[in-house]
Amino acid sequence: MSDTKVSSTVGEQLLELPPSSAISLQMSVDSYLDVLGGMLDQFANKKGMDTIYVTATISSEAIKRVLAALDIDTSRVFFVDCISHIMMGASSVQQDEHATLVESPTMLENIMLKVEYLIRRSEAEHKLVIIDSINSLAIHNNNWILSEFLHILVSGLRARDVYTIILSVEEHSTPEINNMVNLVCDTAIRTGGKEG
Amino acid sequence: MKETIISCSHHSKRMMPQRTGDRERCVTGIDGLDTILYGGIPRANTVLLTGSCGTGKTSLALEFLIHGAIKGENSLFISVTENSEKLLDNIMPYRFFDRGLIKSGKLVFVDLPVMYERLGMTKPEMTMEEIDLLVTAIAGLANELGTKRLVMDSITSVCYKLKTSEKIRDFILKLSKALSDMDVTSILVSEVGAHSATYSMFGVEEAISDGIVLMANMERRGDLLRTLQVIKMRGTTHSRAKYVLDLTPMGVLLVPLLKGGSSGA
Repeated sequence: MSDTKVSSTVGEQLLELPPSSAISLQMSVDSYLDVLGGMLDQFANKKGMDTIYVTATISSEAIKRVLAALDIDTSRVFFVDCISHIMMGASSVQQDEHATLVESPTMLENIMLKVEYLIRRSEAEHKLVIIDSINSLAIHNNNWILSEFLHILVSGLRARDVYTIILSVEEHSTPEINNMVNLVCDTAIRTGGKEG
Repeated sequence: MKETIISCSHHSKRMMPQRTGDRERCVTGIDGLDTILYGGIPRANTVLLTGSCGTGKTSLALEFLIHGAIKGENSLFISVTENSEKLLDNIMPYRFFDRGLIKSGKLVFVDLPVMYERLGMTKPEMTMEEIDLLVTAIAGLANELGTKRLVMDSITSVCYKLKTSEKIRDFILKLSKALSDMDVTSILVSEVGAHSATYSMFGVEEAISDGIVLMANMERRGDLLRTLQVIKMRGTTHSRAKYVLDLTPMGVLLVPLLKGGSSGA
């Protein structure tokens, strides 16, 4: 399957879902960029949504560079960056109006608070929250607190008709993480993984 | 590519608790706090807002007044330690704050040291007569302004001029009665040490007030979280759980403290 096809397939599947959907999107490492394109270009931008992108994997600056290279409009993407501070790279992000810092991925309550703030600030009719990724958050948090975090966050977003996408990387996932995500999501999309 | 659609029936919606009791509420305008209090502070209550430095007490108290002023309730901030102008310069730039509220007189700032001077209270310790004089002056000002919400920041600084438990008790009792009689909902900001075992510096303030809201810094695995907990509130049932807060330009935001990784602090 070509890169464009993965992007458009992900986008098409997402476009079929109603607001308040919570989606588990499992992908292989190789299809990360295509999934980004599918979520942001083929889905969020097509629907005119504001996107709140929680990144615990790579810095918001790095993601923005990738999105720029893919020619994806990021004017409506607002980052909650949980990784730059612990990588000691926060100074440049602090100047970015489209990025809010959380000191550490262990501060799950602060992630919820930043998401809440950005949702309140947004004037868009529809909003999308992306968690990138549950595997990265699982490196820094135990399963109990992570499960509690997902439950409270997703329940709150669903009640306000906000789309939620929880990314997981197939190669790094465990049955416990998959169960945790499936518990709070109503739809699962798997892309770019092993066949069969 | 294999695509799988999994249906899941486990949906949970956040439920807004029902208001209980018959007391009229003073809706703080701080969503999370109103939810914790099942609708707001019972009107005319005197609430001790207590915590160590840097926990967000002044920001929360000021937001309470701004929301009141926006709703048309005359609001009065009595600053004890900090000059009001300086306070306004340093406060979080709330998106909903309009300096027109001050110009229109809906939100009034008074510096207590100026009031001390006008009342001739220059000595380091107040007498019982001076306590009466101060309570009468504050109540008179609140009455004159038609105040419905009042914040004193901080009561601790006033207590330093009272010295004894009897005088502190006398001052707070008289002040809260005078304000309550005028239907004023008030917040008295109280300062405590970071590891204090009591909710107030002198141990008296907490026993007299109608409510106690505790703000703190909680350390968990090296992270410092700002927390809020309602310890008591007369006239309403309320959550006693600990919440994590953030001071944002949209106001104070609150989420429940996650317990899965809590050290029990």
